[in-house]
Amino acid sequence: MSVFRGFRAILYKEFLVVLRDPFTLFLMLFPPLIEMVAFGYALETDVRRMRTALLDEDHTVESRQIVERFVNTDTFRIVERVGSSEELAAAVRKGRVYVGIDIPPGFSRDLAAGRTARIQVLVDGSNSSVAGSALNTAVAVALKESMARLALAAGTRELPFEVRPQMLFNPAMRSPNFFVPGVIGVVLQIATTFATAMSLVRERERGTLEQLFVSPLRRWGLLFGKLVPYLFISGLMAFALFAVMSGLFKVPIAGSAWVLAFATLLYLFALLALGLLLSTRAQNQMQALQFSMVFVMPSVFFSGFIFPRDTMPWIFRSIGSCLPTTYFIETARGVVLRGATLADVAPHLVVLAGMGAGLFALCALRFRWKLG
Amino acid sequence: MNAPDTSTRELPMIECVGLTRRFGKFTAVDDVTFSVARGSIFGFLGPNGSGKSTVIRVLCALLEPSAGTARVGGFDVVRETEHMKPLIGYMSQKFSLYDELTVRENLSFYGRLYGFHGARLRKRFDELVAMTHLEPYLDRRAALLSGGWRQRLAMSCALVHEPLVLFLDEPTAGIDPVARRELWDLLFDFASRGMTLFVTTHYMDEAERCSKVGYIHLSRLIACGLPADLKRLPEVNPPGMRRIEVACDDATSGLRVLRGVPWVRSATAFGQSMHLLVDAAATDDALRSLLEENGIGAVDVRPTGPTLEDVFVSLTDRANGGAR
Ligand SMILES: Nc1ncnc2c1ncn2[C@@H]1O[C@H](COP(=O)(O)OP(=O)(O)O)[C@@H](O)[C@H]1O
Ligand SMILES: [Mg+2]
Repeated sequence: MSVFRGFRAILYKEFLVVLRDPFTLFLMLFPPLIEMVAFGYALETDVRRMRTALLDEDHTVESRQIVERFVNTDTFRIVERVGSSEELAAAVRKGRVYVGIDIPPGFSRDLAAGRTARIQVLVDGSNSSVAGSALNTAVAVALKESMARLALAAGTRELPFEVRPQMLFNPAMRSPNFFVPGVIGVVLQIATTFATAMSLVRERERGTLEQLFVSPLRRWGLLFGKLVPYLFISGLMAFALFAVMSGLFKVPIAGSAWVLAFATLLYLFALLALGLLLSTRAQNQMQALQFSMVFVMPSVFFSGFIFPRDTMPWIFRSIGSCLPTTYFIETARGVVLRGATLADVAPHLVVLAGMGAGLFALCALRFRWKLG
Repeated sequence: MNAPDTSTRELPMIECVGLTRRFGKFTAVDDVTFSVARGSIFGFLGPNGSGKSTVIRVLCALLEPSAGTARVGGFDVVRETEHMKPLIGYMSQKFSLYDELTVRENLSFYGRLYGFHGARLRKRFDELVAMTHLEPYLDRRAALLSGGWRQRLAMSCALVHEPLVLFLDEPTAGIDPVARRELWDLLFDFASRGMTLFVTTHYMDEAERCSKVGYIHLSRLIACGLPADLKRLPEVNPPGMRRIEVACDDATSGLRVLRGVPWVRSATAFGQSMHLLVDAAATDDALRSLLEENGIGAVDVRPTGPTLEDVFVSLTDRANGGAR
């Protein structure tokens, strides 16, 4: 036990310090929950009931029918009827609506005469995912109507092809199911790395580290003593986040909660070890903050949290491969959405465990038991 | 020093030889050599930034020396750190404590850190509290203690394991005179029981109480020895000069007058009187009449010895390259 000498004393003190200061505890626990809720809603990319303006210059049964087809997709919601194409463009430009549908005069005449009847759809392209969705739906509506008419003209009722997709996972295709596990990964990263980095740097700043250095405390005792309380607290935090996930976002955990808990612990250990490693370099709290931010950004962009890793350039993909968040998100999505078993996610868990152990060992080696 | 130093037969508790510490190109401690005998109080003085804290940190193995060696309790601070550590207590300049913890918790944390628990921890805890009179403040957060009480708590924490050598870095900076006196009473008590104390300070009266003093100036130790020996140094008592204490009814004007006189080497205010270093040839009568010519009366002249301050001033002047 001698390399861990002083561990219990540090543990005792660290728990006291954390619990003594409910405000800090609150600051540690509360923002992640808020971030989670905010992130979770902000990343809702299911496009439904988009605000739409309508310019119907045809005023016929056919024009009303086609508008109804659009509305029936549940993608568009007519909130405004305008009288001219200028007004329609203005409504989109001013941001009152995302989509403008323009049915020109002569629409039903063209239809009756067997000519192509045109519908113009204006889409606000500034949000590309929303725009893409509007476009796809509009094109699909047109295709479906055309097919129906062609089939009727050809005298058949059956269409030659049909695709019947069956969603195996996330059947409702809800985006919270996909994003929320990632949000949890990122939110945990922000809170924990920073917390351990700060806690050691604060000791350096106020001079108590010097007092620890002259005591018989050993480095492993100090580092483990610092890490364990935060592992405990961030574990509670993770539990709360998963509770919000299934309670508020109604994302059920398809697989085993134990596997998820185990993966979370490994992930948290790696994050906390990273925090300690940063604190061996940071001289003050400002630096500790900056250093931990350096790791947050890539974790948001390269971990597969928002952008699929498969389509990334290799350089970003390799950055992602070095981040614990990447493996945690993969695991969490696997277990939560696809009901992956321990064996399925084992490769990710091995990487997480390796990263944690490696970071912690590096930290113990790098940590100079000296000042200056 | 040729004074009978009884401790030299015993191994010194602290010993530095040619100790040097550099930070980059800057030398914070330059070739410092001294030793401190068991059971003595070593006063370490010097202006801010002269390297006092750096010496303490090297002796506590918090910094590595760039050159030279240091031994504490007979152990080399670089190679035998683990043996040395249990022997030393260190109270840093800022009285570093855990502000969010109470007095009780701070003390029991340090107790646990040094391997105390259960009944032993309680016993040691009670002893320290009794010694420092911290009883009424046990449940107060360290952040809310005044300077004097912070210092007592910090010192109790440094004493938990009954160290043989205690390093105190400016223990009396910013605390009230009562707490200062009580601290010194404690230090004398520790020393009488065989503890070796290494104390840095700015106060000359504290230096006078030490068994041995060192004065560090611009990273170099320019004086080191027993106070009485230092006061007998030839640099402090230049041949053909004598030290006198002059009382009068207006010391402020007196100083102004005397500082322009060639046969007055130095003149310092000392309460209501002045301490002068004058040519031996100048008589008391000459001085008296000079002051009276300038309207200063009730002049009383008596011979005096140098204070430690005089010692440090003379040695600093010499180190700076001659008299002002
Ligand atoms: N860790 C450090 N890095 C760089 N310079 C330092 C460091 N510690 C002390 N110094 C410098 O060394 C000099 C002596 O400092 P110190 O020993 O604290 O002086 P003192 O305690 O006598 O006031 C100062 O000029 C200080 O700026
Ligand atoms: Mg200092």
